[in-house]
Amino acid sequence: MVPCIQASDVTLTFRPKDREAVTAINGLTLEVARGEFVSIVGPSGCGKSTFLNVLLGLLKPDKGEIQLNGKRISGPGEERAMVFQEFGLLPWRTVLANVELGLELKGVAADTRRKRARGLIELVGLTAFENHYPHELSGGMKQRVGLARALVTEPEVLLMDEPFAALDAQTRDLMQTELLQIWDRAKKTVIFVTHSIEEAAYLSDRVVIMSARPGKVKEVLRIGLPRPREYEMRLSPGFNEIKSRIWSTLKEELVTRIGGDGAQR
Amino acid sequence: MALRDRYYEHQRPILGTVSVIGFFLLWEWLLTSVVTVDPFFLTQPSKVAAAAKELFLGGAIWQDLAVSSKAFLWGFSAAVIVGIPTGVFMGWRRRAEYTLDPFFTALYASPLVALAPLLIIIFGVGLTGKVVLVFLLAVFPFIFNAFAGVKSTDRLLVNVVRSFGGKEKDIYWKVILPSILPYMVAGARIAIGRGIVGIIVGEFYAASEGIGFAISRFGDTYRLPEMFAAILVLMILAVVFTEGLRKLENVLAPWKIGQEAR
Repeated sequence: MVPCIQASDVTLTFRPKDREAVTAINGLTLEVARGEFVSIVGPSGCGKSTFLNVLLGLLKPDKGEIQLNGKRISGPGEERAMVFQEFGLLPWRTVLANVELGLELKGVAADTRRKRARGLIELVGLTAFENHYPHELSGGMKQRVGLARALVTEPEVLLMDEPFAALDAQTRDLMQTELLQIWDRAKKTVIFVTHSIEEAAYLSDRVVIMSARPGKVKEVLRIGLPRPREYEMRLSPGFNEIKSRIWSTLKEELVTRIGGDGAQR
Repeated sequence: MALRDRYYEHQRPILGTVSVIGFFLLWEWLLTSVVTVDPFFLTQPSKVAAAAKELFLGGAIWQDLAVSSKAFLWGFSAAVIVGIPTGVFMGWRRRAEYTLDPFFTALYASPLVALAPLLIIIFGVGLTGKVVLVFLLAVFPFIFNAFAGVKSTDRLLVNVVRSFGGKEKDIYWKVILPSILPYMVAGARIAIGRGIVGIIVGEFYAASEGIGFAISRFGDTYRLPEMFAAILVLMILAVVFTEGLRKLENVLAPWKIGQEAR
C-alpha cells in the first residue's frame, strides 16, 4: 500500500541576500501511514517548521520530493491544512468568517460554508463566540478557531506547527486531550511539530527525532501506549521511560547544536 | 458626589468646550477692555461672528464654498483612486518600489505649492488647475501610507491565505487591503490638510471665486472680521472632515476599537 506521505531525500537551503546560506534540512526521508499521528521533535532551528512548510506546499525543496498519496507535492492543496503556532487568524474577521476562509477561497457558496463553519465551531466549543473578533478571545480559544479553520475544508492531512506552544500549561493539556478526541473521530493523518517531549510522547503513534541543523531524521520511535490515551498515562513508569528515551537521543543533538552555534557566532 | 462622577465621565468634552469658549472670551475681553489695538490690525470674536452671520445669511460665502469644495473633492478623490493602488503596488513589488521611490520621495518632500504658478499657466484660472494642485498635494500621503501599510502586513497572514489555496488577488483583497485600512485613515488626515492648502494657494494665486479668493479679497480690502470668518469656516471644515474620518474608521474597522483600548 502506498503510504499517505512519503518524503524522500528532502533538502532545502535558504539563501538570504545579505547573509550566509543556511541548509535547513538535508536529506530528510520519512514515511507516514494514513491516519497516523506523527510528532516531530528536534533542537531549535533543525528545520522542523521548514519541513512542514514544504509539506504544506509553501516552500519547494532544492532536492528530493514529498509525495502525498503517490503524487508529488508542488503547491498548497486542499488535502492539507495547517494549524499555525501564532494562530494566524485574520484580525478583521469574526470567528465565523475566519473559519469560513478556506471554503471561501475554494469558492463554496455562502450558505453552505456558513453551515459547515458553524458545525466546526460547535465541535471546538465556540458557538457562543462565533461573532467575536480574535482580539476578544483567549489564546486557547484562538487556537480552537485555528483548528476549526483547518478542519473545515476536510483535509486528509493536518499539519500542526507547535500549535499549543503559545498556550499556558493547563490550556495546553486540555487542548491536547481535545485534539486526540477530534483525531480519533475524524481519522486524519497528523504531522505535529513540537518542542515538548511530553506532548510528542502523549499524542503520537510515532515520534520522529530530528538531528541538529541541517535537519534530517535521526531516529523514529514507536510509542506503544494503548489508545485512547488517558491523561493518567503520563504518570506511569512506562511513559517516563519513553520520555527519557526521546530525551537521551535529543540531548546529543542539543549538545551538537550548542557547539555548532558557538562556532558560528 | 453624583455630579462629580458625571463630570469625570464626560471630562474630555467638558474641558474641551470650556477651553474653546474661554479662549474666545479672553480674546474678546483683551481687545475690548485691556489693550486697545487699532481695529485695522486685529479684530475680536463678536465682530467675526457678526461678519460670519452676514456672510452666511447674505449668501455670498456659499458660492465660494461650493467652488472650493468642488475642486477639493475632485482632487482628493483622484488622490485616493491613484494613490492607494500605487502605494500597494510599490509595497508588494520590490522592483516597483526601487523604480518609483526616488521620484515620489523627492516630490513628497518638496513644497509642491511652488508649482502653483506653473499649473495656472498650463491649466488656466479655473477648476482644473486647482484640482491638479490638490491632487498633487494629497496623493503622496496615500501612496506612502499604503506603501508602509503593505510593508507592515503580517507575512503569516499572507501564508495562511496561500496555504488555503489563495491566489495573488485573494492576498490583495483579503489580507493587504484590510491591513492597510488604518494607514489609509492616517494618510487621509494628512492629505486633507495638504489638500486644503492646495485649494487656498491655488485661489490666492489666480481665481475669481472660492474660499481662498474670498480670504485674499477680504485681506486686500482690510475687512478683517470677514477674513477671520472665512478662515474660521475653513478650520471648521477641516475638523469636520477629520472627525468624520475617525467615525468612518470605527465603522469600517470595528476590530480596531477593542485593540486600541487594550
